[in-house]
Amino acid sequence: MDGQQEMSGNQLIDAGMDEDVSYLGPSARCVLFTLEDEIYGIHVKKIREVLRVGKIREVAGTPANVLGVINVRGVIVTVVDTRIIYGMPPKPVTDLSRIIIVEIDDENTVGMMVDFVMEVKDIPESKFEALSSTKENASRYIQGIAHYQDNVIILVDVDNMLTQLE
Amino acid sequence: MDEDILQDFLVEATELVDQLNEQLVDLEHSPDDRDLLNAVFRGFHTIKGGAGFLGITPLIEVCHRAENVFDKIRNGEVEYDAVTADVILRAFDIISDAIVQLNDGQRDLPENDPGLLSELDALTKKQHAPDVAAADENMTDEPKLQLAEGLDPDGEITDDEFEALLNQRDSLEGAGAASESSEAGDSTPKVELTLDEGLDPDGEISDDEFEALLNQRDMLEMAAMDSEMPPEPEPKPVEEAIPAAVVPKKEPEPAPKKVATKAESSPAKAPSKNTAESTVRVDTKRLDEIMNLVGELVLVRNRLLTLRTTQGSSEDLSNAVANLDHVTTDLQTSVMKTRMQPVKKVFGRFPRVVRDLARKLGKEIDLELRGEETDLDKNLVEALADPLVHLVRNSVDHGIEMPEDRAQAGKPRKGTVILAAEQEGDHILLSITDDGKGMDPDVLRQKAVEKGMMDEMTANQLDDKSAFELIMSAGFSTADQISDISGRGVGMDVVKSMITKLNGSIDIHSVLGEGTRMSIRVPLTLAILPTLMVSFEEDNYAIPLTSVQEIFDFDPEKTNKIDGQMMVRLRDKSIPLYFLGEWLTPGQQKDSYAEDKVVIVSIGNQRVGLVVEQVNGQEEVVIKPLGMMLKKVPGYAGATITGNGSIALILDLPGVIHRFQY
Repeated sequence: MDGQQEMSGNQLIDAGMDEDVSYLGPSARCVLFTLEDEIYGIHVKKIREVLRVGKIREVAGTPANVLGVINVRGVIVTVVDTRIIYGMPPKPVTDLSRIIIVEIDDENTVGMMVDFVMEVKDIPESKFEALSSTKENASRYIQGIAHYQDNVIILVDVDNMLTQLE
Repeated sequence: MDEDILQDFLVEATELVDQLNEQLVDLEHSPDDRDLLNAVFRGFHTIKGGAGFLGITPLIEVCHRAENVFDKIRNGEVEYDAVTADVILRAFDIISDAIVQLNDGQRDLPENDPGLLSELDALTKKQHAPDVAAADENMTDEPKLQLAEGLDPDGEITDDEFEALLNQRDSLEGAGAASESSEAGDSTPKVELTLDEGLDPDGEISDDEFEALLNQRDMLEMAAMDSEMPPEPEPKPVEEAIPAAVVPKKEPEPAPKKVATKAESSPAKAPSKNTAESTVRVDTKRLDEIMNLVGELVLVRNRLLTLRTTQGSSEDLSNAVANLDHVTTDLQTSVMKTRMQPVKKVFGRFPRVVRDLARKLGKEIDLELRGEETDLDKNLVEALADPLVHLVRNSVDHGIEMPEDRAQAGKPRKGTVILAAEQEGDHILLSITDDGKGMDPDVLRQKAVEKGMMDEMTANQLDDKSAFELIMSAGFSTADQISDISGRGVGMDVVKSMITKLNGSIDIHSVLGEGTRMSIRVPLTLAILPTLMVSFEEDNYAIPLTSVQEIFDFDPEKTNKIDGQMMVRLRDKSIPLYFLGEWLTPGQQKDSYAEDKVVIVSIGNQRVGLVVEQVNGQEEVVIKPLGMMLKKVPGYAGATITGNGSIALILDLPGVIHRFQY
């Protein structure tokens, strides 16, 4: 047992010795999803679950970024079109589309319709950088970006986004 | 200030304040009721104790003085008459406000009005030669009291002994203050404060401990005074194991055996750390019931699961489903019951409201409460409070006549207002009845014409009932206009709209010269709503059934356009028509509405026709909130899940009408 533990410790250090030094530092576990060709990330602690797209009940009189409401085991959850929030044209739902149920607080959840959910990944916090310039409305909902493994991951500022939408 | 302890204190104090509110008014009616008097005394005393422990000085000051006054009253030295009651009630208001403020998160209470404090002080001195304050305090120092409990080693404390203990403590305080520190009675709060600081509670104190500490503080005072020692926090270590004293980790507990007994006999215990607002107390019996039903539910599920794998006969299946139906219905009822609270919670405040108002107006009024134990959904209990206060005030203010007028009219000088609650099927009926002067429908008709609400002919056609309902129209009842006719009604339209919001209705019955009765009907619960399901293609909408008056086929022959607004003729009346589809399915062009249905609904005192594609029938639905993002979208009261699992939106009729009218 001891040996094994030591080994795994060594592995960590080895990994640290690698190019990716920041493995040692704290990291944030994120769900990565895509809109068009861009990769976005949301911290897992904000996410309750990811659902396939079922029937969405439209609600007349709501803003354009609200797709409607769904029934999640007896709770009515509002679904927003994440594409519209980030200024992209709407796109019909495909087999790959998913609804990410995001927790706002203990009682409130919101569903975010996204094009595709990729994976859950630990991203070293040292990779994050704040956005240098704030341009347009959309930047309000971006907490920062991370360059990681040849990708640019846009970190969604969930709290800000959903309070703005309220 | 320790937040946890404060929260515990607030829960207890809130309860005590509610009780005192009623007890104080009762006491005025029966000043000789010893038990009541003692209960009131204890109420102030307990609040003072808690406040003292937490160092909330403004509260202590008032409670202490109120307590002193009641001590005098108990000893027959002061009478609890209307004048005394006025001052006490004002003091009580200060306490009650302070508790509310603390509950709201405010931590710095305003200083007390010195005028009130000295008035309270004056009460205790009222019927004595104004010698020295100390001498005054010493009056209570009756030897027999001291004897009665000077030592009570058996540890069994009866109610009387408990009272005596309280008495003794007070007199000792007085004596001690006078002889030891040669200060007047006013210094007593300071004594307690010193003690509190000495004890210095540092977090993590359980409810029991809290109780024990409070009591211990009292005992300390007593002990200190008894042995003629200054009240120092140098307590003797625990001599005997006391349930409450086992838990603490730090300070030595100076609690003799008596204290434990006292702690246990203390009635109100804070049940949780949460604020009273968001918690409900539930009888464990009800929880057991639910647990039992959930057990049943699991059994049914197991049966169904077995049936699925073994492909049992359809009879087995339908038996299981029937069982499921039963269990869920029972479970629903049981769970709903946990949310129920006796209507007493609302009624409790009325004796005071009526008493104050009657005194201000110089009227003599008896308030009778009936059916206080009727259970009602917690939300409803809270929502009904304001409208009821309004109606009761109206009865007292406008309904009941001045004593002289009543005597002249051959009625007893004392008017009676009856506030009653009873369950009526799945509704609760609340009524406010007064034996006052009633309303004159003719005056109301005339007033409506004067106000330009209708012409004389329409007004004269109104039957009496409709005439009474005029007082609930917006704009009819402003204070000025209403007070010179026989009516009632500051803001009756507001009351009406509040009741409507609760899916309730209000009904007025009045006989000129004999009195008025207002009846309010509200559903037992706000969670379940009987609705009419309508739909547009696939999409279901639920209309609250209480508003629905009738349904008929859309007939183009009977409609016409007046000033741009479609109207439908119904028994010689024209009712505006709103095509819900224009809003709910925008962009869809409809050639013909011939297949559609018209649902006539009444909102407030207007009737409108809603044109819908299909009417699917009645359904009882569970209201689910739409979530914070859609909460502000007008026209919806929530959503629900229908039998086939799809979502139906519940329409909020006032919001819908607003959409179409503006």
